[in-house]
Amino acid sequence: MIDSGSTDEALLAGMALGDQAAAVVFVRRYQRRVFGLAYSMTSDASVSEEVAQEALLRVWRHAPVFDHRRGSVTSWVLTITRNLTIDALRMRRAVPTDPDDFAASAMMSLEHNPEDAVQRGDVSAVVRAALADLPTDQRRAVVLAAVYGRTALEISEEEGIPLGTAKTRIRTGLMRLRAAVDHVRELEEER
Amino acid sequence: MTDNHAAHLCDAFSEDLAELALGILTGRERAATLAHVDDCSRCAEELEQLSHAADSVVSVAPELEPTMGFEVRLFDRMGFAEASVAPSVIPPGRRVDPLRWVARSPRWALMVAAAAIALVIGLSVGWSTGSDRTGDTGAEVATANLVSNGSPVGSVHTYGGSTPWMIVTLADSWTDGKVTCEVVTADGVTHKVGTFTAKDGYGAWGAPLRVAPQDVRKAEVVSASGEVIATASLADS
Repeated sequence: MIDSGSTDEALLAGMALGDQAAAVVFVRRYQRRVFGLAYSMTSDASVSEEVAQEALLRVWRHAPVFDHRRGSVTSWVLTITRNLTIDALRMRRAVPTDPDDFAASAMMSLEHNPEDAVQRGDVSAVVRAALADLPTDQRRAVVLAAVYGRTALEISEEEGIPLGTAKTRIRTGLMRLRAAVDHVRELEEER
Repeated sequence: MTDNHAAHLCDAFSEDLAELALGILTGRERAATLAHVDDCSRCAEELEQLSHAADSVVSVAPELEPTMGFEVRLFDRMGFAEASVAPSVIPPGRRVDPLRWVARSPRWALMVAAAAIALVIGLSVGWSTGSDRTGDTGAEVATANLVSNGSPVGSVHTYGGSTPWMIVTLADSWTDGKVTCEVVTADGVTHKVGTFTAKDGYGAWGAPLRVAPQDVRKAEVVSASGEVIATASLADS
């Protein structure tokens, strides 16, 4: 029986069989995250609406091919949204939200005590805190790469820095985020 | 291969491993790193952990209430019958974010809905005409509310580029049937853009603009009987 308490995986399994009730619950669970990501990347409500609609439509159509071994449902849905947003920005030749502003919007909901988020196993909140702790140049490089899909070469050109520096910023920043994510995962495994 | 040599080899791939996890590594570097990961369990594990971290970055974006009517339009596209979808209930006490707050203003909500329609129609115009508009949409030159008796009833957007064009949307306008869109340029001359159909007060169209969008000062939607239904004043640009 599908209801608002069903897991993401159960909802996707229902959607794969064409269950409209599962899709309704899924959409209501994810629409704010999907729209929020698109809006954080574009600062444009109309582009975000179009991207969010297309992303959720694709999830509905492609639910049968979701493979849980390749990552979580959240990660799958947000990656679809991210890729569609990058495509929309390119197609419209629109200026994306500055990576500093993207990070700043994420940090608006920063918790006072990140350890609470670690204890809850809330990866998003932990990454948000870890991102806030990064030096600005590393944070910009990580956001440009992980959110906007910029290569190290593109980042070096956009930021006016040597390629080696761009690569180091990306790697160092990502390693620090990894340490935060690993900490949460280790705690989860101990439970 | 000695342990020392293997560690050196892994170090050489450490930067590329991060970029591979982020999905931004290309060409020969990508192929070489993938080949190394295939042979090295240590780097394979490292790649998996870095990938989790990389995937988590997009999850930090804050949640936002979508624009009004989002669900209705989405379920319609999914082919769900209206009657089968119970309206959603926003739990009491949920945080109201700034976007949601402005979306509650009817005037703003209308503009957002219109802009969303405009985007869809705009893109479909680019594709359906077979032009290369998707490669050269041009920047938006101006946007303005279409106003009727002091109330907003839609919007007008003009775009530049090599093939200027405009988008007109109507919502809740009490207009039905064929209407004509005209623009008035800075020299006071009126130019017909095209004839379109509104249904039950709603309509959205995209059409090529045969005058420079920077010269457009006013846009009007005119009924078949010649009555001006709505007017938009576009700023001097």
